[in-house]
Amino acid sequence: MRFHSTVRGFSIFLLVLGISALVWAAEPTDRIKQTTDKILSIVANPQLKDPSKAPERRRLIRSAVDERFDWEEMARRSLAQFWAKRTPEEKKEFIELYSDLLERTYMSKVEDYSGENVLYERETIDGDYAVVKVKFVTGKNKDIPVDYRLRKKGENWLVYDVSIEGVSLVNNYRRQFGSIITQSSYENLVKKLKEKAEEK
Amino acid sequence: MKRFNLELAVGLFIIAGIVCLGYLSVRLGKMEILGERGYEVYAFFSNTGGLKAGAPVEIAGVDVGRVKNINLENYQARVALNLPSNLKIQEDAIVSIRTRGLVGEKYIEITPGGSENVVRPGQRIRETQGSVDLEELISKFVFGKI
Repeated sequence: MRFHSTVRGFSIFLLVLGISALVWAAEPTDRIKQTTDKILSIVANPQLKDPSKAPERRRLIRSAVDERFDWEEMARRSLAQFWAKRTPEEKKEFIELYSDLLERTYMSKVEDYSGENVLYERETIDGDYAVVKVKFVTGKNKDIPVDYRLRKKGENWLVYDVSIEGVSLVNNYRRQFGSIITQSSYENLVKKLKEKAEEK
Repeated sequence: MKRFNLELAVGLFIIAGIVCLGYLSVRLGKMEILGERGYEVYAFFSNTGGLKAGAPVEIAGVDVGRVKNINLENYQARVALNLPSNLKIQEDAIVSIRTRGLVGEKYIEITPGGSENVVRPGQRIRETQGSVDLEELISKFVFGKI
């Protein structure tokens, strides 16, 4: 008798666990919202506004983005057919360079965003893939439509592509990297990325 | 007897002419008569920007196929593409609608991916990029500076 109630208790526990896991997994929009709110709170934090705190602020923003972005997947998709030919060391180096490139390109835009309003418009889930449509309303009342494309990894949803104004980031880099590699070589692409990293 | 030969020759000539005309119209109209060659895949777009059926599909600027048809499904455009059967499209390939020049015709460009999985006939290519409205972008740029 006691054994039975233990079993029943345990199975209810499992059931609740299962349901909560389901609920958690089914919300890509919430994941995007969490990360966006986190970044906006860092940007708006008066204690970090001081110019001397800029590196600290950037580091915090970067770590918030790292949690939500699947850099490896983005780098893989951007290199496309050239990814398979890379050695594991090259892949690792490339992921690093790629995420730094995106950081340098978009960090100032994130830092300048005064966060008037963020509208979460629509979410479409299709199996392990989801698209979350977001509209960033800027101070001048201009809207910047951004689509996040996410993929389910375990229980988490991670971003693998971002479309800004309808232009896909991965597609843009895939074209650029592809033309650099076919015109010269992969080594040259890495050299270019490194040079860009040192410019700053 | 001689007269009969002449009539026969004219008749044959006319028939040959009609066959040539038929061949020409099939070729120029890019019609498929002897069944479809290649295979079909589809993709969803939020905005096709006026893409027409029959528009070319290109990879690296090379014409590889045609837009077979465009339908509205759940207020999204479902674009079916006809591709040659020896052409493999990776699962993470991106299909985008592009414009030749500033005001030119619309066409489809596929940027190949790196995935080992291939899109099979009748399947959907997930990654798409709709038509970018240049006029809207320019006006945003122009009026954004107030």
